[in-house]
Amino acid sequence: MMPSRRSPVEREGRAGRGLSAPWSPLRLRGHQERALVGVLMALPALAFFAAFAIYPILRVFYLSLFEYNLTSPERWIGLGNFAYLFADPTFKAAVVNTAVYVVGTYLPTIVLALLIAIGLNHRSHVAGVLRTIYFVPVAMTWVVVTIMWHLIYNRFGLLDQLLHLHTNWLTDGTWAPLALIIMSVWKEVGFFVIIFLAGLQSIRHDIYEAAAVDGAGPLRIQLHVTLPLLRPVLAVATIFAVIRGMQAFTPQYVLTDGGPGDATQVINLLVYKTAFVYAEMGRASAIAVLMFGALLVMTLLQLRIFRARSA
Amino acid sequence: MFDSDPRALIEDSLARCVPRRAILKQLVAMGLALPAASALLDACSGQAAGGSSAKVTISLWTHTHPPMIQLMKTLIKEYEARHEGVTIDYQQIPNNEFGPKMLTALSSGSGPDVINMDDVSLRGDYIPKGLVVPVDPKALGYESVEALTSRYIPGAFVGATGGDGKIYGVPLEYDAAAFGFHFDQFQEAGLDPSSPPRTWGDVATMGRQLVQYQGGTMVRQGFDFLYLHSGWYTDFIELLLHQTGGHILNSQRTASVIAQSRSVQALTIWNDLINKYHVGDPHVSSTDATVPYSDFYTGKLSMTVLIGPWAQAQMQQTYAGQYRQVKMAAVPQVDPSRPASRCYGYFMAVNKASKVQEEAWKFIAYVTSQHDRWLSDVLFVQPIKGWQNTAAARKIDFIDVWAESYATAKFDEVGPHWSEIEDTLKSSIQDTVFNGVPPETSFTRAQSEIDRILKG
Repeated sequence: MMPSRRSPVEREGRAGRGLSAPWSPLRLRGHQERALVGVLMALPALAFFAAFAIYPILRVFYLSLFEYNLTSPERWIGLGNFAYLFADPTFKAAVVNTAVYVVGTYLPTIVLALLIAIGLNHRSHVAGVLRTIYFVPVAMTWVVVTIMWHLIYNRFGLLDQLLHLHTNWLTDGTWAPLALIIMSVWKEVGFFVIIFLAGLQSIRHDIYEAAAVDGAGPLRIQLHVTLPLLRPVLAVATIFAVIRGMQAFTPQYVLTDGGPGDATQVINLLVYKTAFVYAEMGRASAIAVLMFGALLVMTLLQLRIFRARSA
Repeated sequence: MFDSDPRALIEDSLARCVPRRAILKQLVAMGLALPAASALLDACSGQAAGGSSAKVTISLWTHTHPPMIQLMKTLIKEYEARHEGVTIDYQQIPNNEFGPKMLTALSSGSGPDVINMDDVSLRGDYIPKGLVVPVDPKALGYESVEALTSRYIPGAFVGATGGDGKIYGVPLEYDAAAFGFHFDQFQEAGLDPSSPPRTWGDVATMGRQLVQYQGGTMVRQGFDFLYLHSGWYTDFIELLLHQTGGHILNSQRTASVIAQSRSVQALTIWNDLINKYHVGDPHVSSTDATVPYSDFYTGKLSMTVLIGPWAQAQMQQTYAGQYRQVKMAAVPQVDPSRPASRCYGYFMAVNKASKVQEEAWKFIAYVTSQHDRWLSDVLFVQPIKGWQNTAAARKIDFIDVWAESYATAKFDEVGPHWSEIEDTLKSSIQDTVFNGVPPETSFTRAQSEIDRILKG
């Protein structure tokens, strides 16, 4: 008996219908029919994605070229919003503060997380408990964490009481950015510990054994075996770090509202205020476009750097 | 099983069961019936105002102030009981989210039918942007706008008057400032409670005697303003500007004049109190906007400026013990021979996009007609003529102090892009008061910032 050259779906369909000729106006091959079914099934989700993700993104690009305050018709001003921003000291402060926050928070976070992950990368009950403890802040929302730290940073709060300090953590322009960084490191370390642990556990144990046989000590093993093999994970972690840092909003909004002065004003908070407090939608869109561009460039740069080193 | 196309079979059986003409008839009947049903549903859903039997839902948003919310809910119940078919959908928005939520909702053509909005936002954003409608005197129970305004003290509607001269709201709350102090703490510090400070210099002198420290931290402030959202910063700097004769904007509202000496003098007074005389420490102040005066209520702050009688009522209701140790006096002045103070108001207004505007004004008429209850329960003054002589007013503690304050008060200045200007003012005040930047430097920077904002 000759094997059928038709796909199972096609065979089943025709057999099921019991028809001598297909009634579909389209004569499709098996794989085409499957593809069509796939597209049709995905269409509602794609439409949803297009309406609620693609369209708003395109709309932001469009609005960045207009003056639009929600109530008056949009007025074309070309690059006017961008020119305004480049002369705006608040925007400049937000860019600098965001950069300081990203580097200040995520550089120590990644180093700490890496060290903790290496320390916890073995099977024991203690390591399991510690992993859970480090992960607890990740499971908490930013709002909860921020309110908790608000109490800790209070002039009569835990930190000053424990360390016998009189520091104005949240109301002094010098200390407020640092207060945000300390809190964010505490919150974010667990997230990166999990990423690094996953990476570490994918490294074969016999590589370590071979290095040890060759006479490498623990430090050399970490530097010359673990780190090079973790490079792809490090690349992902750094990209995550930059994106998460650039998107910071809740801690600054809840803890300091960008103050005192503009000391903790960050880009996302400025976007929110510009759009929803000042009702300057065009200008807010321009900030978002600039942030998108910066993130894209940084991500590509990071990927390139890590690829170059891997080559 | 089938020996022909199944669709043909189905069509054939359908044709035999239901004749095509019958199907057409049914479709035509449905086409006629749908609009009728739609109209009926509209009438029942409250989307169309009209006859007394129609069901109407009026949505109302206010900020959060617990005594106000309590009385508002009572009045809503009464109104619903008296007006069959009317439902009030009342929502309270947290104070720090109120502005953005309301502005975004109204700008997008949605939002509540009735809003309760402060005069600065009303004049700065809502009226110029055409988001609210002028008052409807007939629905409010008056023959004309003049008949409405003549019932109130002169100037009461300044806070709700647009550039077109039209009035856009009815005052629910009309506030002036008074100076509150804990007289037991005065006695304890050897000060005479019957001679409260008359000038800011007096505040500095007395404040230093009232301050208490514990382990290097100020645990009791002699005097301070409040450090909440930008609106509060603006309230206090405007109070001082009214007294020094300074301004934020020029008279055409096209440029800032805040770096001029009289304006800088206002910030200098504030800065001197904190950083020169150390009568207060903003770093230890409460930042909870729900109970703005919690430091004063709990005695951690000996003296402060209360920006409305509602604060006195809030203390009386929630901190009765401390309230008994408190007195009110006139706000200290730069020049007591030329007293000046500020007032502000919350006005009930109607969303331009509302489909039940007439019903909304009728509801507002009821709520704002309960003058005595607003005064006795919440200490909201509704500035009808002779309000201070009503039986309800005479029962209020320190009513003469408050009445005197209204006599010297005027509404704050407002300009385009006001929310952004308020944030700039907040930043510059913080720079000076929190971080020690000289007032001239802060306000010079604020002036160029405001100029840039105004130019857009």
